[in-house]
Amino acid sequence: MEFFSNVAKIMAKYWKVFLVKGVGYTLILTTITVFFGAILGVFICLARMSKSKVLNAISLNLTEIIRGTPMLLQLYVFYFGLPRLFPSIPTFVSVLIGFTINSACYVSEVFRSGIQAVDKGQTEAARSLGLNGRQTMMKIVLPQAIKNILPALGNEFITITKDTSLASTFFVGEVMTSYLIVKGNTFLTMECLFIVAVIYYVMTVILNRLVGRMERRLRTSD
Amino acid sequence: MIKTVDLHKSFIIEGQAEPLHVLKGVSEHIKKGEVVSIIGPSGGGKSTFLRCLNMLEIPEKGHIYFEGVDITAEDVDINLHRQKMGMVFQHFNVFPHLSVAENITLAPVLTKKRTQAEADELAKELLQRVGLYDKWSEHPGRLSGGQKQRLAIVRALAMEPDVMLFDEPTSALDPEMVGEVLDVIKGLVKSGMTSVIVTHEMGFCREVSDRVLFMDGGIIAEEGTPEEVFNHPQNPRTAEFLSKVLY
Ligand SMILES: Nc1ncnc2c1ncn2[C@@H]1O[C@H](COP(=O)(O)OP(=O)(O)O)[C@@H](O)[C@H]1O
Ligand SMILES: [Mg+2]
Repeated sequence: MEFFSNVAKIMAKYWKVFLVKGVGYTLILTTITVFFGAILGVFICLARMSKSKVLNAISLNLTEIIRGTPMLLQLYVFYFGLPRLFPSIPTFVSVLIGFTINSACYVSEVFRSGIQAVDKGQTEAARSLGLNGRQTMMKIVLPQAIKNILPALGNEFITITKDTSLASTFFVGEVMTSYLIVKGNTFLTMECLFIVAVIYYVMTVILNRLVGRMERRLRTSD
Repeated sequence: MIKTVDLHKSFIIEGQAEPLHVLKGVSEHIKKGEVVSIIGPSGGGKSTFLRCLNMLEIPEKGHIYFEGVDITAEDVDINLHRQKMGMVFQHFNVFPHLSVAENITLAPVLTKKRTQAEADELAKELLQRVGLYDKWSEHPGRLSGGQKQRLAIVRALAMEPDVMLFDEPTSALDPEMVGEVLDVIKGLVKSGMTSVIVTHEMGFCREVSDRVLFMDGGIIAEEGTPEEVFNHPQNPRTAEFLSKVLY
């Protein structure tokens, strides 16, 4: 029972570090990553599906490299590499860019499979009516693909939430960094880990609920 | 209206060294106001031929002239020509995310043929004609197969095409719904619409066609009036096919 009283004591003293700074940074990092990752992901997806061989090769190789190497390694590359190009870049931004590019590659595949899951007959019907490729994409394919894409994007949000813990390696300030800080002050490792685990768990449970609700709403809107 | 000259089409099949040669030189002339049916065994190239007519499949050799223009030419804006060729598919391909009315008005408005108000007016008229006006704001998910296909026909008609292409329009329907769709097509051809119809409905084919093409092995193996093809087939393969599908 000493364990839980320690937990209570830690929370009484450090709740701001965990819940305000930690959760705050995690959510900021996650939201910006998913937002810009989705935008960049659209372009990677367009490049991947374009007829240009060059764009195809670039996007294919990029996604394969990103998906084929550990995220932590990628973050190291951005953490050390970006300041060489832009000496005054803050660590938080370097790490954020690393996350964004990583997420963009995964999301581009989500977009691509979401688009490819739309029945080919839909495109054929639209083209047979005389719509051009762009009109077909905007009015027929994408509105249907979005139903496949949005739930997957929600899941990406949850994955990123957990993955941002890797940013603690660079002491960025998210939940896992707050663990390092508080553990350093209290030396109560297991108690701090417990607190952090509960925080991640609660965050992902809430996000899961939101994604589930969105999925249900999309399904009933047919 | 549509003239094809020596059409060839092959498909590259993954894992196979040789491409599959599906159309082996099809030359055909469909005249204005004519109703031409295409019959023949499955895999004979009927759909591929029909889909070449509006360039959904691009032939690797040969030419297609639509109203005098070679639409296989590189510099042709195929979208403009497709606007004058309606197509009806076996699996309806209605747009599930749009209402019945939007299914019909989308293309005329997007292609700037009509204003939204004009398109709505036309959609109303067309839906009344096929008995679907009460479904105006419904989504296609709520429609039966026969209703979906009638919607698909009307959607194509809303572009006021010069020719209609039908690819087995009743093959995916439950038997009790075949009649309602055939009736709509009959009405259409009686009104003088130039039509090319791939079908397995032999009775219907006989009734509406001016000309019947028998396609087998990537060529038109026989053609003639329904009377000629059904009653006096010249090609033994036609006779064999008919003996299987007729009683
Ligand atoms: N997109 C395609 N890719 C590969 N093979 C195809 C494709 N479309 C049709 N085929 C093949 O071409 C042949 C002719 O098909 P099709 O024109 O659909 O015949 P039909 O409509 O007379 O049944 C079939 O063997 C079919 O498998
Ligand atoms: Mg077919």
